[in-house]
Amino acid sequence: MLFKQISPHHYKYRLFRPIPIAHIFTVNPRTIARKLGLIFLLSFSLNTNCLSFELFDSVQIHGFVSQTMFLTSGNNMFGPSISNPSFDFTELGINGSWSPIPNLLLSMQIISRRAGNGYDGSPNVDFGLLDYSHYFEDDYKIGFRAGRIRIPYGLYNDTRDVAFTRPSILLPQSVYFEGTRDFTISADGLLIYAELLKPWGNLTLELFGGYNRSNELDAKFSFLSLPGNLEPNPGFSGRLNYESYDASLRFALSGGYIPMDYKSSSSLIVGPTGTLIPTPTKGKLTFTPILLSSQYNTDKWTFTSEYSPFFINTSGLNTVVNPFADSNNFAQSYYFQVAYRFAPKWELMTRYDAMYTNSHDQNGKESELKSQYLIHQLIKNTPNLSSLEAYNLFQFASPAHSHFAKTLTVGLRYDISPMMMIRAEYNYINGTAWLPTQGNPIPGETKQYWDMFGLQVSIRF
Amino acid sequence: MPKIISCYTYRFRNMALLSLILLFSGSMMAEENVVAVVHYGTPVTTPISRIRLSSIFSMRLTTWSDGSAIKVFVLPDDNPLNSSFCKQILKLFPHQLRYAWDRLVYSGTGQAPVILSSTQEMENKIANTPGAIGYLPKEKKDDNVAILLVE
Repeated sequence: MLFKQISPHHYKYRLFRPIPIAHIFTVNPRTIARKLGLIFLLSFSLNTNCLSFELFDSVQIHGFVSQTMFLTSGNNMFGPSISNPSFDFTELGINGSWSPIPNLLLSMQIISRRAGNGYDGSPNVDFGLLDYSHYFEDDYKIGFRAGRIRIPYGLYNDTRDVAFTRPSILLPQSVYFEGTRDFTISADGLLIYAELLKPWGNLTLELFGGYNRSNELDAKFSFLSLPGNLEPNPGFSGRLNYESYDASLRFALSGGYIPMDYKSSSSLIVGPTGTLIPTPTKGKLTFTPILLSSQYNTDKWTFTSEYSPFFINTSGLNTVVNPFADSNNFAQSYYFQVAYRFAPKWELMTRYDAMYTNSHDQNGKESELKSQYLIHQLIKNTPNLSSLEAYNLFQFASPAHSHFAKTLTVGLRYDISPMMMIRAEYNYINGTAWLPTQGNPIPGETKQYWDMFGLQVSIRF
Repeated sequence: MPKIISCYTYRFRNMALLSLILLFSGSMMAEENVVAVVHYGTPVTTPISRIRLSSIFSMRLTTWSDGSAIKVFVLPDDNPLNSSFCKQILKLFPHQLRYAWDRLVYSGTGQAPVILSSTQEMENKIANTPGAIGYLPKEKKDDNVAILLVE
């Protein structure tokens, strides 16, 4: 009895009653730990202008860290984000480069990406390459890169994972679609380039041939929602880029041809509701993206627009869970974006972004009917199906709104220092064409109209 | 009484406007306050073309004419001299130069310049590093570094 009274755990004898931490923040303690981690990063970088390292002559180390919070209505974005904030989007990268002789550069970057249950943060080699170039006195440069190379595509793909170089929390999803990210980010092969530097501007041509990295990835978590593997075949991509001398004007034409084989050892997948869905074991998938880019810069304003016709050809992949019911699919995307640097360190941005997975069926009605028909056939051909199972299967029909997405974005960015930045952003979205399927596995349960609010803090060095 | 106050306010406002115009035209007429500088003995002919100079500072051109490495030194993004050098000498916006470096560094296709914290450090580095290029305030007439004029 006496022992009990002097026990430090007895509330009566403590100055303050211990309140569970979770009650203060109304979110789980894991989130708080992450928040504290960010505050630590914040305090560490506030008074520092530069943290990049030059270990010894011609060796450099750089990197970046970004943490994003999403709060959404209707659909999940990178983790369970409906009504409660999700902190499941973390980007980490570190790179090193070494120039043993002036025209030769060796570089490598390791990236860890945590994004909902699609990416678990396991590190992978983003690029690892050898670059050799020669600059001629007549102001032109010719060179090549060999190894794992970032695919030159549009205005933003080169530095897609570095929040500092993005105009918003995420890149415009119509053009830099999360679902095809893995096929377009970096690839193994050879790139040759030529650069002309003249008073009228810089003209750069880059041509790449090689294999994309689809074989490292799980097709289950790609936009196909299929259980098998994608094996890359040799593909090509290229970009022709013009930049006026003062970089006030930029134009680019990019394109690619990315063929892949689909292989699966199982002919059935278990849907989230427990229903078995037949899937193909073999097939082909080819992406042919084209991208037209333009940008106009002044001291305070940046106007950007990109337009992308995107061809997706599939054979043998006609299944109820394939969002592209057509074997020849012509998708279209574009966006208009304005950024205004109204005060030093501050930037306000707005964007209208549109994506149609089938440009012959912009409202998605036809695709919806087609998908419902396929499921109807499946139900008819499956004996002894209970009415509940039939209902569950119907939830897999892709709704009309999953074939388009129109996004209106407003964002504010503040650069605390040249190496640290925070931003807040609001998106109003009509449609789910670019919504990652991982967090939203049942198409019938997604919402057409939804909001997405985001906060991001990022450091680079 | 309120009338007199408003009268003074107007006069003050006019004076403020006039001084602002003077200040503005003054800065328009003023010459550049910053110059490009190189290490003594660097194989480069002065004046250099603006394209060549911006190719160096955007890290596209990495060697001097004899094949030796160019070492680029700059001040932090938010240093006023960095902004002056970009706008007056290179005729570029500072955020575009930063964008060019980011593209190289985070795609593994180039290196960033070395960022120094003060003009004093800049002076020392340029004076002591063969192949070095940077910029300094114009009034800082120092014999340790060579001034590089722009065409």
